[in-house]
Amino acid sequence: MARLNPLERWALTLLGTIGFFAIWHGLAVSALLPRNTLPSPGAVLATAWQLTVEPFAGHTLPQHLAASLGRFGMGFGLAALVGVPLGLAMGRWRLLDDIVSPVFEMLRFVAPLAWVPFAALWFGTGIGGPVMVIFAGAFPPCLINAYRGAKLVEPRIVEAAQVLGASGLRIMAEVLLPGSLPSIVAGLRVSAGLAWQSLIGAELIVASAGIGYVMVQAQSNLAPAIVMAGMLAVGVIGLTLDVALRRTEALVKARWGQA
Amino acid sequence: MPLPDLPVQGRADTFVPTRPRAARRLPSFGVGRRNLVGALSLFGLFVLWWVLTTGTGIVTPYRFPSPAEFQGALDQFVTDGYAGGVLWVQAWHSTRLVLMGFAVAVVTGVPLGLLMGVSPRAEALLNPAFLLVRPIPPLAWIPLAIVWLGLGDAAKVLVIWFAAFVPSVINTWTGVRGVDRTLIAAARVHGAGRWRLLTEVIIPGAMPMIFTGLRLSLQASWTTLVAAELVGAFFGLGRVLDAAYRDINPPMIAVAMVVVGILGAATTQLLSQAERRLILWRA
Amino acid sequence: MKDIRFEGIGKAFPTRGGRDFVALADVSLTVAEREFVAVVGPSGSGKTTLMRMAAGLDHPTSGQVTVGGKRVTAPGPDRAVVFQQFALFPWKTVRENIAFGLRCQGAPRARQDEVVARYLKLMSMEGTEDRYPHQLSGGMQQRVAIARSYAIEPDVLLMDEPFGALDAQTRTVMQEELVRLTRREPRTTLFITHAVEEAVYLSDRVVVLARDPGRLREIVDVAAIRRSEGWDSMPIDAVMDLPSFTHLRTHVWRLLRDQIRPDD
Repeated sequence: MARLNPLERWALTLLGTIGFFAIWHGLAVSALLPRNTLPSPGAVLATAWQLTVEPFAGHTLPQHLAASLGRFGMGFGLAALVGVPLGLAMGRWRLLDDIVSPVFEMLRFVAPLAWVPFAALWFGTGIGGPVMVIFAGAFPPCLINAYRGAKLVEPRIVEAAQVLGASGLRIMAEVLLPGSLPSIVAGLRVSAGLAWQSLIGAELIVASAGIGYVMVQAQSNLAPAIVMAGMLAVGVIGLTLDVALRRTEALVKARWGQA
Repeated sequence: MPLPDLPVQGRADTFVPTRPRAARRLPSFGVGRRNLVGALSLFGLFVLWWVLTTGTGIVTPYRFPSPAEFQGALDQFVTDGYAGGVLWVQAWHSTRLVLMGFAVAVVTGVPLGLLMGVSPRAEALLNPAFLLVRPIPPLAWIPLAIVWLGLGDAAKVLVIWFAAFVPSVINTWTGVRGVDRTLIAAARVHGAGRWRLLTEVIIPGAMPMIFTGLRLSLQASWTTLVAAELVGAFFGLGRVLDAAYRDINPPMIAVAMVVVGILGAATTQLLSQAERRLILWRA
Repeated sequence: MKDIRFEGIGKAFPTRGGRDFVALADVSLTVAEREFVAVVGPSGSGKTTLMRMAAGLDHPTSGQVTVGGKRVTAPGPDRAVVFQQFALFPWKTVRENIAFGLRCQGAPRARQDEVVARYLKLMSMEGTEDRYPHQLSGGMQQRVAIARSYAIEPDVLLMDEPFGALDAQTRTVMQEELVRLTRREPRTTLFITHAVEEAVYLSDRVVVLARDPGRLREIVDVAAIRRSEGWDSMPIDAVMDLPSFTHLRTHVWRLLRDQIRPDD
């Protein structure tokens, strides 16, 4: 397993990138595939640009994105607000852990998207539906990582706080929370990714606005260029979220150390 | 109380968390008290379910089925079928697709991961394509797959393949990179050629990570299948879910969800068994 | 059996500051056929680097290493290595580990079994052939590692602080066993260690390195005294009691002592 010198690595990376787009473009314009099956990279970008001004399926692309992000924010926020404290509490109090864990483990096996029918039944196409599905997807990592983080906090530190007279709540807020922060942030990162995925999935199935909705409508209209523009948007946002959270994770690790 | 400075032999455990179980994932049923409390908790949940639905009628059938209705739907599904087939037929249809997509993904993904792990050249060349495509969630491929291949099985398998492919590649790659360099050196100084190095050192060394990837792939396969079938399908458990939703049939929705969950758990168990059999050498 | 020749070896690493870090400077040394040479030195004197160069796992920036007259470029079964961390294949049994090198050479199964049996007996490990490394103690694992290297009958044996990961008692036992093994089947051996007693007890000659930069300080001959006093037929504790042993050990220790810094 030889090492690669930087120049060679750079050249191959460049070659790989160009090759990817070249093959894509080549396949798109060639006669190999039926017309209108695979739009070229240029066509996708052009369509994406077009959608920022021209509405499709009721709104422009930015408006759809805003709708999606709104739902994402609510679902993810809810999952974090419920999952993190609960995870910390479970880490701290064994009884709570024993009560909640079996239920949690059971429910976890249900894929988040399997909740869509119930979500749709209960909330219609309102915002509650996607939020519920996102919650189902985003909740487990928040809980698990907060739990793990709390468990790994040195018991001596918790005992020191107890000896000094801190209440259970204060211990959670001022000892467990900071101590588990690296683990929690890692969990948030994973959770955000799952939340974004669950959102798109939910919007594919039942929604009246949003990126997922755009893609499904475009699919019905057999407009692959719009579908791919939607995929591009989804990918870009997902990547941005991931990068932002990774940065945060690195910052937290640098200040507080590894979980 | 100040912590002792000199580690006294036998007191070393004061410096580690008192509950070593903590380091693992949320533990499933242990023994003794934990088991009892857990069982009580589940039982309590069941009682709550019954009370809310049948007992007091707070939760109407429209919202969530009662245990009796669940049973009824299950029976119906098993004997008469729903949305085109009985339980076993629908379940098998979905499972078949998952296994197909998963198998193809593993057969294509693991070797690719090996290649990228072993050859820095291949890695540099193929990485850009990966990085560009990775951020797009597998589910987002569903509409495109349907445009290309219609609402039939082919589109589902394509998306499942894609969803399962990425974790397999990445984890295999990570596993290969993670093999202890000293072991590789030891093999080389005893005369191992490239092929032997790959088959007898690198692959066994990467096995644990490869299996982690397989587990993630399987999980992704099921999630993607359910989603794909919900978006549009002729058969399968996702189709059952969709039909039940349109018919406003909550008991059937619940039944389908449970079946999906059980199948997911069962396939994951099979994978764990395979792993245990293949990796005998762990401490 | 081959000899090892280090001719004018230099090894420098470029560092961020601009000035190179010189690990080794102009080291010349010959390990004769069937000779057991120990290399001691303070940390940073480049002793492990020397061994890795002989193994072909590392390359000098100046000078060359030859084994049996041939220049060393890559690792190979003629120069077996015993690592400090044992480096046993965790997924292979004891038998499979020991037989590994033989299989690489294409030896038939019968021969593999014969060699494995011989070394298991020699190192008092009978009955362990189907165990996995994680089921063995540190000392046993190192025995397997040594057996694995010996099994391919290498022309040269390179040992990198092989007993460094063992506890003191096991270490002493292993030293005795190694002496038994090497006197019985002498091989050209380069043995890296930082333990002075171990070096004097095991070797024919002790090479003392200095550091900053890594270079030869002195070579102490042990073989003459060892042979004339018959150390090989005495138990290790008796040998270490001898005044001649103590004298040699102190001499080597003094050569090292003035190089050791307080922050080591």
